Amino acid sequence: MSPTGVQDAHPVTDAVPDASVAAVLTQRERLVRVVQSVGRRPRDITRRPWESAGIFAFFLLAYLVFGYWLVVEMHVVGFESLDRLNRALMIWHNDPAKLSAVGFDHPPLVTLLIAPATIIPALGSSLGVVPLISAVFAALTMVVLNTMLRRAAVALPLRLAVLAALGANPLLALYAAGGASQFVWISLTTVAIGALFAWYVTADVRFVMIAGLAFSVASLAGYTSLLWFVLGAVLVAGVLASAGADGTEVEGTTVGFAAPTVYVIALWTVLNLVLLGNPVAWLTSGRESTRPGTDLDAAQILQQTFELVLYGAPLALLVLPALLVVGAARGNGFALWLAAFLVVSIATPAVDVALGLTGQPILMRDALPVLVLSVVGAIWLARSAGTRTTLVGAVLVLALLVSIPWTFRAMKTYPHQNLESAFAAALSSRESQEGSRTVSGSTVGVASEQTMADYLSTHVAGRSSVLTDNAQTFPVMFFTGDPALFLDRIDEGEGPWQDAADDPAGAGVDFLLLSIDTEEDLLSRRFPEAVAGTDPLLPEIFRTTRYVLVGVPADYAPPAEDEQPADQTEPSTGLGTTSTDVGLTPTGGDLP
Amino acid sequence: MTTTAVPPTAPAAVAVAPHLGPDLDPEVALLLPEGVCRVFRVLPYAVHDEVVLVAAAQPGDPITTQVVADLVPGTSRLVAHGELEVSDALDRLHPGSALAETPEERDDRAHLVSLLTAHRLVTDEELRIALLEHARTGDPLGDILVAHQTIAEDVLVAALGEIHQMERVGLADADPDPELAHRIPEPLARGLRVVPVAQTSAAVLVAVARPLAPADLAEVEQALGAPARQLLANRTDLDQLLQRVHSAHYASVATQHLMETQPEVSAHQVFTGAQKTVPALALIAVVLCAVVWPFTTLVVLVGLCSLLYLLVSVYKFRLTLRALGTHLETDVTDAEIAALDERALPTYTILVPLYKEAGIVARLVRDINALDYPRTRLDVKLLCEEDDEETIARIRELALPPHFSMVVVPDSQPKTKPKACNYGLQLATGTYCVIFDAEDRPDPDQLKKALVAFDRVADNVVCVQAKLNHFNQDQNLLTAWFANEYSMHFELVLPAMGAAESPIPLGGTSNHFVTSTLVELGAWDPFNVTEDADLGIRLHRAGYRTAMIDSTTLEEANSHLPNWIRQRSRWNKGYFQTWLVHMRNPLRLLSETGLRGFMSFNLTMGSAFVLLMNPIFWALTTIYVLTQAGFIEQLFPGVVFYAASALLFVGNFVFVYLNVAGSLQRGEFSITRTALLSPLYWGLMSWAAWKGFIQLFTNPFYWEKTEHGLDGSAS
Repeated sequence: MSPTGVQDAHPVTDAVPDASVAAVLTQRERLVRVVQSVGRRPRDITRRPWESAGIFAFFLLAYLVFGYWLVVEMHVVGFESLDRLNRALMIWHNDPAKLSAVGFDHPPLVTLLIAPATIIPALGSSLGVVPLISAVFAALTMVVLNTMLRRAAVALPLRLAVLAALGANPLLALYAAGGASQFVWISLTTVAIGALFAWYVTADVRFVMIAGLAFSVASLAGYTSLLWFVLGAVLVAGVLASAGADGTEVEGTTVGFAAPTVYVIALWTVLNLVLLGNPVAWLTSGRESTRPGTDLDAAQILQQTFELVLYGAPLALLVLPALLVVGAARGNGFALWLAAFLVVSIATPAVDVALGLTGQPILMRDALPVLVLSVVGAIWLARSAGTRTTLVGAVLVLALLVSIPWTFRAMKTYPHQNLESAFAAALSSRESQEGSRTVSGSTVGVASEQTMADYLSTHVAGRSSVLTDNAQTFPVMFFTGDPALFLDRIDEGEGPWQDAADDPAGAGVDFLLLSIDTEEDLLSRRFPEAVAGTDPLLPEIFRTTRYVLVGVPADYAPPAEDEQPADQTEPSTGLGTTSTDVGLTPTGGDLP
Repeated sequence: MTTTAVPPTAPAAVAVAPHLGPDLDPEVALLLPEGVCRVFRVLPYAVHDEVVLVAAAQPGDPITTQVVADLVPGTSRLVAHGELEVSDALDRLHPGSALAETPEERDDRAHLVSLLTAHRLVTDEELRIALLEHARTGDPLGDILVAHQTIAEDVLVAALGEIHQMERVGLADADPDPELAHRIPEPLARGLRVVPVAQTSAAVLVAVARPLAPADLAEVEQALGAPARQLLANRTDLDQLLQRVHSAHYASVATQHLMETQPEVSAHQVFTGAQKTVPALALIAVVLCAVVWPFTTLVVLVGLCSLLYLLVSVYKFRLTLRALGTHLETDVTDAEIAALDERALPTYTILVPLYKEAGIVARLVRDINALDYPRTRLDVKLLCEEDDEETIARIRELALPPHFSMVVVPDSQPKTKPKACNYGLQLATGTYCVIFDAEDRPDPDQLKKALVAFDRVADNVVCVQAKLNHFNQDQNLLTAWFANEYSMHFELVLPAMGAAESPIPLGGTSNHFVTSTLVELGAWDPFNVTEDADLGIRLHRAGYRTAMIDSTTLEEANSHLPNWIRQRSRWNKGYFQTWLVHMRNPLRLLSETGLRGFMSFNLTMGSAFVLLMNPIFWALTTIYVLTQAGFIEQLFPGVVFYAASALLFVGNFVFVYLNVAGSLQRGEFSITRTALLSPLYWGLMSWAAWKGFIQLFTNPFYWEKTEHGLDGSAS
């Protein structure tokens, strides 16, 4: 348009007919039909990197300090964290160093993320490093929630109050400071949902990509996020279709959203096929199962689910109905989508149990994603409240504050848990929980492992001189900081390890490190008398409450076939197999 | 909107003073732009009963009536007033305005209009549109009519001859005495569009496009050393004659200027002595090491390659991530474009290299004419090679108006696009210039956007690069991949490089330059087959910068594989050439570009080397997956293995996804899925890279011609 407002003062005659000119659309003409905002950044909240950095730093520091106290001083430490750390240590310092030490039985991301921290063995093998990953991701979660609160136009003081009230939730604090891997996938999934939140508000296609990438990374940290991913893909397609986008835009955007996660899962499947011979091994062996399977009927599952929400995330009882009402009554589509996400997060543990996908009951930690999603739902409600945003925000703070003592009390007695009761006891008594019993009957602490590790570090030298089943003795390996000392199932794979177990002296090992648990430890099952300290050919060198170290004389000859214990079933084969199917639970302070 | 005309004394109902006194309401008066008021001698002066009263010197003129009806909102009425009265009122309203016309100018225009209308050479509608453009731009009415092909240039020349009482001369077959023709120096001849064609005892007869101003005539006579007599000539014919007279000079400058003035940055020498010696010594050292420590040598080589992969990948990822988060292009709004005063627009040169592209000339002309820029301020150079008779004939056949100028580049080596551009640049009259390829379809407002951008960016920005993409992306898989690649490159990579002030390897077309700076830099290197990329680096080294604008030129994506391989092999060969040229003296490059620029340059050019390495590593990976061969595993010890694994599993996907992201960012949803198959495209890129690499040694200056018009819409 010209300054005079005369538009068509141009061509009088053109040199040639314009037969095909209409077929080529300019970028501007093409974008008229596009529903989303592409090519430019639409109106959105301004960036506040310093605010985000401040929140991140505050929560990171808070959870690190708290985590140090909890883990190092109170000895409330989960073996799952030690398992991941030991795997990370083995990536760099095993003999030979192998990436496959990451293992295929668990989502690999947490181990990979912690790996850089274990490059220096002295640092990587200390308890102080345990809270690092969970604290980082918990802090990231707070940053994402703060951004959502800003998009909901919640004022800064109220935002900080929400984050503080959530951050002080004891269940969340335990998992944020205790080094648990749950927070990694919960955090990344929150990033993804936060991106979808932003996309819904701004229509900026870049948020779809961020959501897709976050889901893909989250799926490497926790397979449960795949359910949320599927729901997210339906959301993206559904929202676009209802907004009048054409099929190409719906398809292209959904492909852009889904591609990263599909790639990650496809790659993981191929790696499982190539290295383990079973493309779905990541699904079938990935479940953490140590306890015997639970046979619960529907009513019991429902009751457990209700109790989980009631004690772990009571906020959901307020938010879910509110989302449904707002969604249905006001035609607020995203409220309904968030309600669906919340329902999925509540139902997932129940479905797991109902379908027998897990050998565990519904654990209290399963309330964590419900809690975080409830907060997300409440933030959306605040945004949808128009002039009453502050009121909804204040109610959210109040609800979160009220739930703190409620959940804290429940943690002491909730029947299906990991270290919640030990955590509560530590907070109440300010005393180390070493040796105390959890509600589920496990013993808390790592003194036995540390003592054995100290002995090994002091008295044993030489690479691969200690034969052990790393799936059961990983805490000891971790505390030595030197996995090269051990001849484990990852070094050369299962076959050579079995050969060494058949003939330890022939394999050149000087010691056997056995866990007292002869049920799960493949080596202990082979040498039950050595575990008991009664094998005259394998003299006991050192013993703790959970482990025994026996010597292997150079002339040691393995017993004949018919003299060996009869119950030696073959271990699961495959690269990187460690704890799950055959080992101690990595979920809490259970005894090996 | 309606307009009626009444005499000033008519209806008593019009209860306003007919005299245009000093108390004019400016708000009403400005309902029409000043330019329109002055050209049509009209002035809105009052509103009565919701009717805008417009004083008009010629209220009965149908063109004036139509213009006022079109431009004045609501209902208007023309009221007859004296021409002087309207003129005085306009001068009072716009004191000291540059738009005020002299009586001579007004008389000349009126004379021209009366000549054309008397001979029925223009219709009222054509005249109205041309007069409106004249009012907007201030450009001569005759030139506007010719530019729109309403009348032929010859008709205008005849009219001007009549108006100015000048003789005319036909130059189509003119062959003036070379000595005489060269008596006016080339820059003066080109600037004033004047060529001596004959000599009499009293004066030198000079062909001119338009009557020369007295000062210009004096300059010409001083150069000639004799009185000059002007003969009006057809501008197109005059331009052709100028080229014929000075072609040897133009050709010499086009080929040798950079080579002679800045040999250190000219690619005429592919490898310097040091560039031959150092690699040769390194190769010998590697061979010796391979003999003594075969395995260790291989491991070190693998490690170095992995490091290059890692650095290039991280660099590109960082750039694209930054671009995804922010809008980095210089954005120009519609309002800013609308606010441009077309009278202040500079002449814009458009260089269009053509070779064997007769089939798409017509489309090219149409697309250039569709640009939102006054044609009278366009200087379009259609650059043809002398041996391309078909294209030359086609252009002649179209009898294009003078803002299109055919430039015939004499046949000589190297026969490259940059040489043609250098040739055309010498004839450029624009303050700014841009290159478009023959098949390009730039956004209509791109020139204006570039101007606004030049106005806004820092003074050292002398180049503005528009985005490139494709209009035939849905033609086949290859074109979709090409569009994926361009989407990532121009939507993400280049904007981020521009924002980071890194040396930008310019895209092949749609790069807008400040002409004088381009000339000062030595223009394009005729020996470099990616002269665009090279120029981007050279201007960075000279302290200048490039900015990106959010405007797109749609090109034809190569739809035939052999054609694509040819084009891509040339690009890769050019990247190797450019790297070799600028790395002749790495320390100097470092000092000129700074560490960040140095790294950026090397990592950008490094992508061409990565394409060479790809097949080797793909083969190793495939063999390993199939055979689990131990020796391959041993080639990747420890950290090397982890880096290689990360690149294999993460890096590859990241780049695939960046193609997806680029397409999404651009709103090209139909090609999102093809982006997922990018690794197959990378295979083709490696093929082309190897072809280009080999050609670097065997035929370094050979220009692999890309055939256009394969999308089926040539006409």
